[in-house]
Amino acid sequence: MHRPTIALGVALVLAGLSGAALGDDVYVICNSDVTLQAAEVKDVFLGEKGFAGSVKLSPADNGSAQTAFLGKVLKLDLAKYGSIWTKKSFRDGTNPPPIKASDAEAVAYVKQTSGGCSYVSSAPAGGVTVVGKF
Amino acid sequence: MFTIPRHTLGALLLTTVSVVALAVPASAIAAGNDADAIAVLQKKLDQSIKMIEALTARVQELESRQGGTVAATQTASTGPATQQQVAEVEHRVQQIEAANATRQQDTTGLPIHGFADVGIGNYNPYFANYRGANIGSLDFYLTPKLGDRVLALSELIFEVGPDGSVGTDLERFQIGYQFSDAATVWIGRFHTPYGYINTALHHGVWLADALRRPKFLNFEDHGGVMPSHTVGAWLTGAQRAGDGRVLYDLYVGNAQQDSGGTVFMQNAGTAHGTVMGGGRLSYQFTGGPLDGLTVGASAFTDKVDSAQTNNLTQLRVAGIAAVYDTDSWEHIAEAYVFHDTNLNGPPGTKRSTAWFAQLGYRGAWGVPYVRYERASLDQNDLYFAEQQFGASYYRSAAGVRFDINPKSAIKFELANTHTLDFRVSDVQYGLPEDYNEVLAQYAVRF
Repeated sequence: MHRPTIALGVALVLAGLSGAALGDDVYVICNSDVTLQAAEVKDVFLGEKGFAGSVKLSPADNGSAQTAFLGKVLKLDLAKYGSIWTKKSFRDGTNPPPIKASDAEAVAYVKQTSGGCSYVSSAPAGGVTVVGKF
Repeated sequence: MFTIPRHTLGALLLTTVSVVALAVPASAIAAGNDADAIAVLQKKLDQSIKMIEALTARVQELESRQGGTVAATQTASTGPATQQQVAEVEHRVQQIEAANATRQQDTTGLPIHGFADVGIGNYNPYFANYRGANIGSLDFYLTPKLGDRVLALSELIFEVGPDGSVGTDLERFQIGYQFSDAATVWIGRFHTPYGYINTALHHGVWLADALRRPKFLNFEDHGGVMPSHTVGAWLTGAQRAGDGRVLYDLYVGNAQQDSGGTVFMQNAGTAHGTVMGGGRLSYQFTGGPLDGLTVGASAFTDKVDSAQTNNLTQLRVAGIAAVYDTDSWEHIAEAYVFHDTNLNGPPGTKRSTAWFAQLGYRGAWGVPYVRYERASLDQNDLYFAEQQFGASYYRSAAGVRFDINPKSAIKFELANTHTLDFRVSDVQYGLPEDYNEVLAQYAVRF
């Protein structure tokens, strides 16, 4: 197979993969004690919004859906997201959100944590507040 | 239950067929009569066929029973066990998920992060009286989690000072409480909130696109002329407004002191209880065509005494700052004006100015930047006259940053610096009056 053909094939595969990742639905969920607007999600996960009313927010990333979340909701890639948090942590003394490994972990965290917020790749069964579907 | 192995049934059937087949020719020969023989043979063949059919049916029946028994046995032996195992696995997974879900609240350890840099050039980037290779700093910072609203930040740094030796400095040590997004109180030693660079870029040079800060905004022990650290209390917060956010800072702390030619923030307190204080107000656009732009103004007053003389200077400093920080651009500009009064010196107010403008482009291949900076510092103002690096100057610089990976960068800068009021003390320190620099820096974060 000629190199251009291989390159084209690789490009198509990568495009398909990224398209699939970005094409996935993302459901942002929060603990039932959180009242949040979908437009505020970006500020929450970038550490600019720490409170919803009197409730201290505790966002957590979900590693299994992070690529789709960053691309669709924050409009960032993982490297940029990490860089933003490095600077913010150094400037403000805050820590980046912890990372959960799966939808199940993310849902369990949100249910258990007052002010907890995260995101999942499929509609949650219940017990959490769905802030928005992206 | 009676069972016949499958291979035994097959052997029995084969044996029966063989016996019949062998018996037929023998009977025919013995009869000697074709018709009778055929009749006999037909009869025996019919019997044999019936026997074969019966045996076949029996074999099928037994095979059916045996298969059912095996299936039943398998079901009986694996069903409950498998279900139990599945239940145990599910329970275990739930435990792991629950443990991971609450991991944020654990207190099992404290991650250490930091920055480090080394450099090489025809001059030291901060102390122009040195040339050659240099170690920059090893900077550790800790942000322990102390609960939802309690914040803590400490920054311990090892760096080379003006005398060329490595020193240790607790650059920041602040403990805070977050009441809301609009109000966080910090107490301790923090970066004085003025302009943009002093609170945004800090000691880790990896954070900055440029190789170094503007000279007059360097930290106190690196040639800066402003009180970049304050020991005191700081109220800060942000509030959404329109397409952006209003950010504010109010602070009060120990008045600084001139000590050995540098500004000292008096970590233990002041001898006479003198204080300094100020504030900053900024607006950050977070949407629309101005997304990424932040503009602000700041002011502070300070009463700086001298450890060597009886000089006491009342500083009144006002400044403005603007930064355009996007994925593609980083433009920064800051300007300050000083109206200082030497309370134990010649009467009158001394006016000085300092400003810089930097333009940077964040390309995929690197980050080129240019900067011009100028400080006109009145040498009749004892606050500047006593400082080792308090001379007026201007500097033109061009540089580029290359990110090797997300945690390391190498930077290069060409610069010309011209001292406007070359002083006797500058000669004594060995500082050049006009010099061109070729600098390289390797910076990492971890």
